[in-house]
Amino acid sequence: MSEHRSDNSAYALAWRLPMILWQGLFFIGPLIFMIAMSFFLVKNYRMEPALQVGNWTKTLSRGFFWDSYFLTLWLAGLAVIITTCVAFPASCFLAFRVSDLARRWAIFFLIIPFFTSYLVRIFAWQVILAQQGVINAGFSLFGIGPYTMLNTKFGTMIGYLTLCLPLAVILQTFSLANIDKRLVEAAHNLGCGRLRTIFTVVVPLAKTGLIVAAVFCFILSFGDFVAPYYLGGSKPPTLSIMIIDTSKSGQQWPRAAVVAIMMIVTMLVVALTAIGYAYRKRR
Amino acid sequence: MTEPLVVFENVVKRFGNFEAVKQLNLNVHEGEFLALMGPSGCGKTTTLRMLAGLEEPSEGDIRLAGKSLVGVKPHERDTPMVWQSLALFPFLNARENVEFGLKMRGMDGVERKRKAFEWLERLGIGEFSERDVNSLSGGQRQRVALARALVTEPGILLLDEPLSALDANLVIRMQAVLTKLQRELGITFVYVTHSQSEAFAMADRVVIMSKGEISQIGTPRDIYRTPANRFVAEFVGRNNIFSGRVNKRGAIDTEAGTLHVDRKLPVGDFVSFVVAADLVAISLSKPKERNVIAAHLISEEFVGSMVTLFFEATGGTEIKVQAQERALEGILRTPGQLLYLSFNASSSHVLKY
Repeated sequence: MSEHRSDNSAYALAWRLPMILWQGLFFIGPLIFMIAMSFFLVKNYRMEPALQVGNWTKTLSRGFFWDSYFLTLWLAGLAVIITTCVAFPASCFLAFRVSDLARRWAIFFLIIPFFTSYLVRIFAWQVILAQQGVINAGFSLFGIGPYTMLNTKFGTMIGYLTLCLPLAVILQTFSLANIDKRLVEAAHNLGCGRLRTIFTVVVPLAKTGLIVAAVFCFILSFGDFVAPYYLGGSKPPTLSIMIIDTSKSGQQWPRAAVVAIMMIVTMLVVALTAIGYAYRKRR
Repeated sequence: MTEPLVVFENVVKRFGNFEAVKQLNLNVHEGEFLALMGPSGCGKTTTLRMLAGLEEPSEGDIRLAGKSLVGVKPHERDTPMVWQSLALFPFLNARENVEFGLKMRGMDGVERKRKAFEWLERLGIGEFSERDVNSLSGGQRQRVALARALVTEPGILLLDEPLSALDANLVIRMQAVLTKLQRELGITFVYVTHSQSEAFAMADRVVIMSKGEISQIGTPRDIYRTPANRFVAEFVGRNNIFSGRVNKRGAIDTEAGTLHVDRKLPVGDFVSFVVAADLVAISLSKPKERNVIAAHLISEEFVGSMVTLFFEATGGTEIKVQAQERALEGILRTPGQLLYLSFNASSSHVLKY
């Protein structure tokens, strides 16, 4: 019996091993190295192993870092709010108002953006948003503009929405479509109007899915480098841009590691808090 | 003359090309317990949902207390419903579920809470008021659903197969709860079910529906003893149906033998008649009755003190007999045994043909 079991566990382990090795080599290992590196020393543009907290105190005591930190937090938060608000009516429509067939087609079309690289889509936006771009050309027909959209926070936000919106609509639609329609009918039956039902019944029922979609938006936007760099003009820098700048200037890899760790910790805290709230059991 | 509480007038409901309800005319009187009964797909649930406004009729008019409901939104009607699935809100506790309707009417918090608790108490589950609805038993959830629908003191309550998910014991208990509530409150109950026992046990009047049309409306007794047509007779499972041609002496030649009914019928017509299972007598020796059928016992079904015996007569005719267990003492009941079944001509009911 016990022999059989050990056979079994060896078999199971054999299947799990590739995943464990992969995660160990390419995730846990580098993560530990990065944490260690944040205590290293840089002398004459050369990094050498050490155990000193100088990188941490210098980075975290600079207003420059915190400006960037709160800017990134604010932009990612704004992306979550805008994405959620724009996606929700669309998701409600797809979940409640159209046939199953139409919904499946809509989901398919929402997946299509992922066929092309995100970077390519951002370059496409440059063409559209530029000073002589498509939109300003359209405006000029009416004698207005041109408006500066590239290299602004507006540009950054367009990039974030490009990244998040299709995913948010897909996740929200799935969670809304799974709602028991009889509960919506029950709400109407008990005197709850259409709009009020959305907030008193539909949102609480779809809470988990809505929060998961928002968490995805936050993580994708908070860590994104492409949108703030190519559409936002990289000034003032978000944290992802700051990592690049820091590591390039004077080989300050240890300080870049500090920024990276701060980002990881922030994303973990936000994600775990949100997921904890999403799955919180009532009494 | 005042109009009945609910009037369905030439109501038609179509889903695409399918006519779920055809030319329905139905009155529901104030304070009555009306059951809509029929096999699945007969239109009974659609009829109920139209009354609640969850479906709009394709044609015709529905009036509640004299006012047309056509075009009135579900949340603007006072027609609370109890769902088969109960449709309790899982993110609210028992009391909050009951409070929902009051909250929508803008009642203030303290009064709302008091009233919800009062109703939970009334239904015997006051102690569970703060519990998560998913942690309650089937019967308790049922009571929460009832309290939620009744807390706004409506004039009518709609019930869509509310007991079909409960086990047999609980069904009997909830039937008692429902009939008692209905009598105490004096409000109208419209109850949709496919279960004959539920409809017959509780309803003042039963509406039998088939393929979107009403087959018969009547008291449970009327429907059982004098079914209007073959569909009703077959649907009410405790009937025996015999068919045959009327012979020269006015008797009917059926496959089970020549049988007599207490009605003059035109010679040569093909007719069907029913005899309720509880009106058939069993004896060991051939009795001196006019309607006697010799039949072999096939099986029996024992429910409480009642026994249903299944027989097969010559020609393969199945005959059901329902009797008190005590009344069968002294009669051997082994499968395959030959027994004599008899019934009075006045116990028969000739179906329209």
